[in-house]
Amino acid sequence: MTALSTDSPMPTETSPAQLRERKDRRRAWLLLSPGLLWMALFMVLPMCMVVYVSFWTQTTFSVNSTLTTASWERFLGSATYLHAIGTTLRVWAIVLAATLIVGYPVALYIGLFVRNKTLQTALLVACVIPFWTSFLIRVIAWRPMLGTEGAINTILMKLGLIHEPLTFLLFSEFSVLVGMTQIYCVFMVGPVTFMIGRIDPSVIEAARDLGASFGTIFRRIILPLSLPGVMVGAIFVSVMVLGEFATAASLSGRKVNLLGNIIVSQVGSLKWAFAAVAGVVLTLIITAVIALALRIVDLRKEM
Amino acid sequence: MESRILRPTLGLYAAAFLLFLYGPMIVLTILSFQGPEGGPQFPVQDWSLYWYKQLLGLSEASRVAQLPVGDSLLRSITLAFMTTVVSTVLGVMSAEAFRTRFKGSGPAFYLIILGMMVPGVLVGLGMALLSSTLGISRAWWGTSFVLHVVYTYPFAFLVMLAIFNRFDRTVEEAALSLGVSPAQTFRRVTFPIIFPGVLSAMLFSFTLSYDEFARTLFTAGRDLTLPLAIYGTFSVEIHPNIFAFGVLTTLFSFTLLVIYGLLMKRFTNRAARFAGQEDNG
Repeated sequence: MTALSTDSPMPTETSPAQLRERKDRRRAWLLLSPGLLWMALFMVLPMCMVVYVSFWTQTTFSVNSTLTTASWERFLGSATYLHAIGTTLRVWAIVLAATLIVGYPVALYIGLFVRNKTLQTALLVACVIPFWTSFLIRVIAWRPMLGTEGAINTILMKLGLIHEPLTFLLFSEFSVLVGMTQIYCVFMVGPVTFMIGRIDPSVIEAARDLGASFGTIFRRIILPLSLPGVMVGAIFVSVMVLGEFATAASLSGRKVNLLGNIIVSQVGSLKWAFAAVAGVVLTLIITAVIALALRIVDLRKEM
Repeated sequence: MESRILRPTLGLYAAAFLLFLYGPMIVLTILSFQGPEGGPQFPVQDWSLYWYKQLLGLSEASRVAQLPVGDSLLRSITLAFMTTVVSTVLGVMSAEAFRTRFKGSGPAFYLIILGMMVPGVLVGLGMALLSSTLGISRAWWGTSFVLHVVYTYPFAFLVMLAIFNRFDRTVEEAALSLGVSPAQTFRRVTFPIIFPGVLSAMLFSFTLSYDEFARTLFTAGRDLTLPLAIYGTFSVEIHPNIFAFGVLTTLFSFTLLVIYGLLMKRFTNRAARFAGQEDNG
């Protein structure tokens, strides 16, 4: 290519192809600029604001812009807040593992064992349909399911398996974990099914003809080829679970405090600087998780 | 073969999974027909439509306060509509830009995708801080609206990107080389081809915005949107009227889905008819 000629002082020498490329590029940026401007103003700027305000001075009912690290010191010195970081990480790890354990076999079934295209689509649609119910309603629907007079306890008592209702089911960390797993596991099932469905059946057939057992086929072919799907699913689930607060707020009975809950309660009591500190900590955690996942998989190539 | 055991086992597992997905909603639907004296749990006292009537304000003198859904429903639909229009336009423009490879496309791609990644509670907090610093009053049609677009625009963009990736560029070039103006080419050639994608992008944007809660919580100001009104009732004791509300909103969403399906079908039928004409001529 004549890439070097662009540096020369003779613009008349640029080829038509280069001219066209330049025109295309200008057009691309022109088309992109409203969207990018929107993102810069309404996403990047607010996020910078969170970092900035985390260094402001917090008084009882307001903040002023005198810079200080007092909020950070209070946050990092407080057992409650550090405990919230721990809870957030624990809930994230358990829910991520649960969505994988619950979702992967389903994805394997839909992607590999259902060969009828119509049935395959029908099963995937069946997984997506619950999303047409409002998120908050789906969360609250776990209350009549798990409560002491809820469906599970009623059924177990009728069957005579238990005599006292199980109380750990609702308003505990357990209910938060179950609720989050149910709400987010579809984000794992989707990408994994997609990747498994793309595996060429003849590869598996060839392995079988050569005498490989299903265990070997799974370990050597299916698992490695489905891994990008797992990573994409993991990114989706992680981002959503780490930023969560509504499920914990409505199902844990205030027993589970995630960083998101800390932010909400601090804003509620007008402690903007503390809320901002929690926000920055949350951003750091999410950035670390996404960076880790992106090192393993290139998101743009997989879409 | 092992798959003779494996296939039915996995089939059963998938069935159990669907039960896990739908179980809570089924229980919620059953309990929405609870009698007037019943609570949000089993047993069902007697089957009735009481809570549906109560929700719509048709029952006189109730022991439970009515859900504040009237105005907030209207606000949520207006907000979702505004979000749909803006994010679809932005999504189509950006995806169109990405059809040519250009320097800096990688960072631009990730900047857009970041909008669906960054937690709502964080941008919501940032927006609330920003607006109070700049002295802008918070409102659902202002501060909430821009955040909803930040969230839905990446989805519209990705949908359109997938459509454009499968789109034969030579059709457009043929029109252009025949002397049709770029604007006309877009209207008569490009748009009809990408229309199904546009419809999907709109459906995505509408449902996401209509249900969005975290981004609205700190930015809506005084007037509540529907999810905020629902969230407000969680802090106090819940009643079966929330269940009835859940059933009704799900039905509403399905109506939207059916409208989308009908529009899509009508469009593909027309396209098929058009293709048929071409063949005959």
